[in-house]
Formats: sequence, structure tokens, C-alpha cells
Amino acid sequence: MEELPADEIKRLRRCNNDLVSVLALPAMWSGAEPSQIVHTFLDALLGMLGLDLVYVRLKDPIGDSPIETVRIAQSRKQMPQPQEVCDLFNRWFGDDPQKWPPLVRNPIGDGDISIVPARLGLHGEIGLLLAGSQRAEFPCQTERLLLSVAANQASIGLQEARLLSEQRRVAKELDQRVAQRTTELAQTNQELRREIADRRRAEEQLRRSEAFLTEGQKLSRIGNFSWLVPTDDIKWSEQLYRIFEFELGVPVTFELIGSRVHPEDLPLLYDMIGKAQRAVSSFEYEHRLLMPDHSVKYLHLIAHGSRDNQGRLEYIGAAQDVSQRRLSEEALAKARSELANVARVTSLGVLTASIAHEVNQPLSGIITNAGTCLRMLSADPPNVDGARETARRTIRDGNRASDVITRLRTLYSKKDLSPESMDLNEATREVTALSLSELQSKRVILRHELADDLPAVTGDRVQLQQVILNLLRNAADAMSAVDDRPRELLIRTECDEGDRVRLSVKDAGVGFAAQAADKLFEAFFTTKSDGMGIGLSISRFIIEAHHGRLWATANDGPGATFAFSIPCAARAWPTPKTRVNQADPLTGAA
Amino acid sequence: MKFHPEGSATERPLVSLVDDDESVRESLPDLLREFGFAARAFSSAEEFLVSDCIGQTGCLILDIAMPGMTGPELQQELKRRRQEIPIVFITAQRDETVRPRVLEQGAVECLFKPFSDTALLDALNTALRLN
Ligand SMILES: Nc1ncnc2c1ncn2[C@@H]1O[C@H](COP(=O)(O)OP(=O)(O)OP(=O)(O)O)[C@@H](O)[C@H]1O
Ligand SMILES: [Mg+2]
Repeated sequence: MEELPADEIKRLRRCNNDLVSVLALPAMWSGAEPSQIVHTFLDALLGMLGLDLVYVRLKDPIGDSPIETVRIAQSRKQMPQPQEVCDLFNRWFGDDPQKWPPLVRNPIGDGDISIVPARLGLHGEIGLLLAGSQRAEFPCQTERLLLSVAANQASIGLQEARLLSEQRRVAKELDQRVAQRTTELAQTNQELRREIADRRRAEEQLRRSEAFLTEGQKLSRIGNFSWLVPTDDIKWSEQLYRIFEFELGVPVTFELIGSRVHPEDLPLLYDMIGKAQRAVSSFEYEHRLLMPDHSVKYLHLIAHGSRDNQGRLEYIGAAQDVSQRRLSEEALAKARSELANVARVTSLGVLTASIAHEVNQPLSGIITNAGTCLRMLSADPPNVDGARETARRTIRDGNRASDVITRLRTLYSKKDLSPESMDLNEATREVTALSLSELQSKRVILRHELADDLPAVTGDRVQLQQVILNLLRNAADAMSAVDDRPRELLIRTECDEGDRVRLSVKDAGVGFAAQAADKLFEAFFTTKSDGMGIGLSISRFIIEAHHGRLWATANDGPGATFAFSIPCAARAWPTPKTRVNQADPLTGAA
Repeated sequence: MKFHPEGSATERPLVSLVDDDESVRESLPDLLREFGFAARAFSSAEEFLVSDCIGQTGCLILDIAMPGMTGPELQQELKRRRQEIPIVFITAQRDETVRPRVLEQGAVECLFKPFSDTALLDALNTALRLN
């Protein structure tokens, strides 16, 4: 058997150890702030690769000034200002990292230093990592691999940290708004209390003067009534006439009352009459009135039964106009739904999850191979052939992981979301290719029916792909409980009338009730335990921004079809392109 | 010299692996042999069911999501056949709800990919003690 030189064994062993520690990093920083992640990350890299310096520049997602951090090997006596190092690197920022000079003047010592740049995030949207070493052989193949795996790990960690802080921000904002509304409600409440106090005072006065009662009732928007059940003789106080907006003194009948009660609340009135016939001791209702000018009032009504001197059942009660309170409650609900827009950012979570899944598969191979390799090398005698084979596989799987990242990078490669002339079929295929493993694991059978002659559309590719992804996920989710028929999913593109194209996603899932059809598109409406309920509302938002329409229909058979239709021609987009100018997909020629 | 002489294969417990991912089938058996087990890999539940390994398998490492019969379905099928093989599930899907479900059905452990070699070894040792 061929013996490897001892130091090659050492090197392999070290590379494996390093990989394992890189892969263990996320466990150390899960839940941490971005700055902590960066510190852990830089310290680990510096030590692991024996670097002379590492530099990270994080783009700030909110402000525009980036955050820069530098770490320099401790053995160095000369400590430069971070600013000096940054200034040196700043000269190349914005250029294509591929074109950066591999050697630069050493900002922390004599001579030159080799620099390896790595993007953080799919297209560098998170930031940039620079590793530098004075060693002549830096970076060797394994060091490059380690750097790229480590950069990917850090990107996912930072992305999650950002998401987390964004979610915290949204939650805080929600809290603030709720607090604000609560204060408003409390104020209304206080007013009510004051009114009630006023009423009490008014009641005091009542003893002295009947005239004061009317005044008090007006103040508190509370009216009184009595109802002699056997004769249906109903008496109202002046204020109740005012609330119902009936002319003072007209005889009160249930017919008259019914003409004001909101049609949707009429059953409550019948229910009340039924209760009186069963002689219940008391009742309480809250119902709406529909006024002649179509405004709506909310009425809160309480009554107690008693017997008059002839033993007849009579209800005595009070009714209060609570419209104001209800209005502030509705304002609160509205504030909540406004927040749905703020929450759009959380759709990034979907993206992060899919990256994590795509990368976990190859990472699993890396870890297993690294473990095997270590064990083979520590055996006595070491199994060098085996170790070499597993090390080869580790590197291959590492490349596979970066391939996944590259693939995702091209899918989400647009920095500025902007309209372009695009092939919807191709965009669809890219999304389905990426979703394939997820769909397969859910045992979904995916069929394409993509029209051959589909004209190009002008749109934002990434956003439209996000819509398609949302529809695919929803369709797959809708079929997750289906076991008595194939989980068939059909994605179809076709020309639509009026120079439009239509894309539809048809599933064989649980479907939806006809009356729920509009609810589905409301923000935060979800029937899933892990759903946010924002997929469809974002999708509709995107499609409407494309001057299109997104809708849902129930299938003839089981399941539902979600479809959108958008115009092909550029309409309100700033730079309209004609179809002749389209790039030919085969030659790339315009 | 190989670490484990071929001749002793019969004394070493057999760990069978069912996973549709080729890189797992390629890498995991080597690690299992390094642990000191005999190992066989299958690309689908169906392939495992028709093999002659069921009777000798001391522990089954089983992927959850596979085209055709899934891991949990194979678990049910083995139960139906009264084959009491301890099962360690592995999955790349970070769905926290599957773990309690398969454990409740009697699985020894459910590991999320990527998992460490020691976590796997612990699970295998637990599984083999059950035999
Ligand atoms: N294809 C479908 N078949 C049946 N019901 C559906 C379908 N798509 C969506 N729905 C219903 O509409 C609801 C809202 O969908 P939406 O995508 O907006 O949110 P979600 O899927 O619940 O959560 P998330 O925002 O995380 O995607 C779903 O919870 C589901 O009840
Ligand atoms: Mg959804």
C-alpha cells in the first residue's frame, strides 16, 4: 500500500477538522445579532486558515452606510487603523470581484498580501468578505473551498438574523399600533365613563325633574323602553326615538323597529321576540341599525322582565348607541391589516428556507465524508487510499453546494427589481426546476403544458417567479392530505384574449368553499398551522403592479385552479421594448 | 491491510440504508464500515423489500421523503409484516412536525441532514441495543 507523507495526512486531517468546525458555526450563532455573528465568524476564519487579516463589509439593509469590521492576526505588532485597511480595499469596491488584483500592498506590514474576496449573499446583497494572507501558497484549493463554504454559512446566518430583526421590528410596530389603539379605546372608554357619571348625575336630577332625564339620556345616548308582552304595547323614551331617528310620539311597533334594524341583524330581533314568548328573565343584544342615509349605528340593549299588578309580563330596558366605540374597534382592525403590507418582507423567509434545504443535502455528504476520512486517517495503520477517496468526495460535494448557490444566484440575480422583456415559459421552468425536490418529497406529480407560441411579456422576472412559487407551494400544500387520488399539479401557460398571457396552476387538492374565494387573498388569512397567510396577497399585489389579474376558481373535479393574466405589451413601464428587440434565446443575438 | 478483515463480516451487525440520494448511498456505507458495521445501501423502499436483507438487518437507516414508497410507509409495511427492525430516520426537510410523528410510530431517532457522525453512531448504538 502506498504511504502518504505524514504531513499530507496532517493536512487532510486539518482540512477535515476545519470543515467540520465551519459547519458547526451556525449552531454557535443561531439567534444572535448580526454583529455577534460577524465576530464569531471572523475569529474562526482567522484562526482556522492562519490568515493575516480578514475584513467584512456588511450592507445595511435599512440605512445606506455599510458596517465594516477588520480582524488582524494577533502575532502582528503593528496594528493599523481599520480605516486604513478599508481605504485600501475601497479602491476596488464596485468592480467585479473576479477582476480584483490577487496581490495588494500589505496594509499591515511589508511587501504584498494575497487577497481572496467572497460575496456574502446570493448576489452580494449581504456584503463582502476579504481574506488576506502573506503566505505565498495562499489560497490553496482546500482554503478556497473552506472560504466559500464558510461564506455561505455566514450568509445564511446573517440572512436569518436580518429576518429575525425585521420580524422583531414588525412585531414591535404591531405592538405600538395596538398600544396606540388601546389608548384611543381607553380614551373612548373614559368618555363613556364620564358620560355614565354624567348620566348618574342626571339620574339624581331626575328625582327632581323629569325634564332632566331627557337631557341625561341625550348625553349618554341611552334610551329606555318598556314592552308589555301580551299586548305588544311598547313605550320609548324620547332619546330612543332620537337614536332610531323616528318622529317623536309615533306608535312603536315591531314592524317599525324592523324597518330600521340592519337586514343582516333581523334574525336577532326575531330571536328576541321568541325569548319574550318563552318569558326569559332577561336578555341582552348588540345589533346594527341601518339609517335612511345608509349610515350604520350599533345598538347595545339590555332588558329585564317583571310582572305588573295584573300579572302580565313586562320588559323594562335600556338601549345605548355604542357606534363610537365600535368605530374605534374597527380602526384597530384596519391598523392590523395595514401591517400586512409591512409584513411583506417576511416572504424572504420562504427563500431562506428553500436555500437551506437545497444546501443541506450536499452538506450532509460533506459531513459524512469528513467524518469517514478522519476515522480512516486515525486508524492504525491509516487507510490512506480510503481517506483520499473520501476527501475527493468532500470537495466534490462542496462544489455541489456552491453550484446550488450559483443556481439560486442566477434565479435571484437582479439587484434592482425592474421590468424586462422576458419569456414566461422559461421563468416558469426555472422555478419548477428549483421546486422539484420539494414537490417530489410531497409526492406531487408535476405536469407542464407550456404554450409553444407564447409571446414575450414585459415584467419583473424575479417578482413573477415569486408569484409562481407561491402558487406552486399553495397547490402542493392543498394536496398534502390527499391520499385517495394522485396529487396531480398542472402548470399551464397560454395566450389570453386582448394581447395577454395567462398562467394557471391547477391542483387536485382540498379546494375551497365558494364563499371563501375572496377571503383567500386577504393578508394574514390562512388555514395552515405554519402559514403566514401572505403568499396570495403579495402575489395579487405583484400581479396588479403588472396591470394584470390574479384569481381562483374551483375545479369541476376536486381541487382549485389559481391563475393570473398579464398584458404582453409594455404599458406603464418606463422603457417600453418592442417584441422585435427580443434577444433570441438560441443565439443570444438581439 | 484493511481495517476490517472481510472474513469477519458475518459477526458484524448489518446496517441497511434506504435513501434515494446517491451521494448519501455513496458516503454513508463507508462511514458505517468505519464504525465497524456491515452496510448495504438501497435506492428505494421497494428495492429493500425484495432484497434478502430484511431478516439480517440489525438497524435500518431510512430517508423520509422518497419518490414511490416513503420512509414512514416502509415503516408501516415492516410493522404489517411483523419485522421488528429498529429504524433511524434521516431527512433534509427541516419540518419539526415529522420527528414526533415517526418517533411515536416507534422509530429510534430522527436526524436532520446534515447530522454529525457521532449523533448517528449514538442512534445506531441505541438501535442495536434493542435487538
Ligand atoms: N391551491 C389552493 N387550494 C385550496 N386552498 C388554497 C390554495 N391556495 C391557497 N389556499 C387557501 O388560501 C389561504 C391563504 O393562502 P396564502 O398563500 O395567502 O397563505 P398561506 O399559504 O396560508 O401562508 P403563507 O403566507 O406562508 O404562504 C391558505 O391558507 C389556504 O387556506
Ligand atoms: Mg402560501
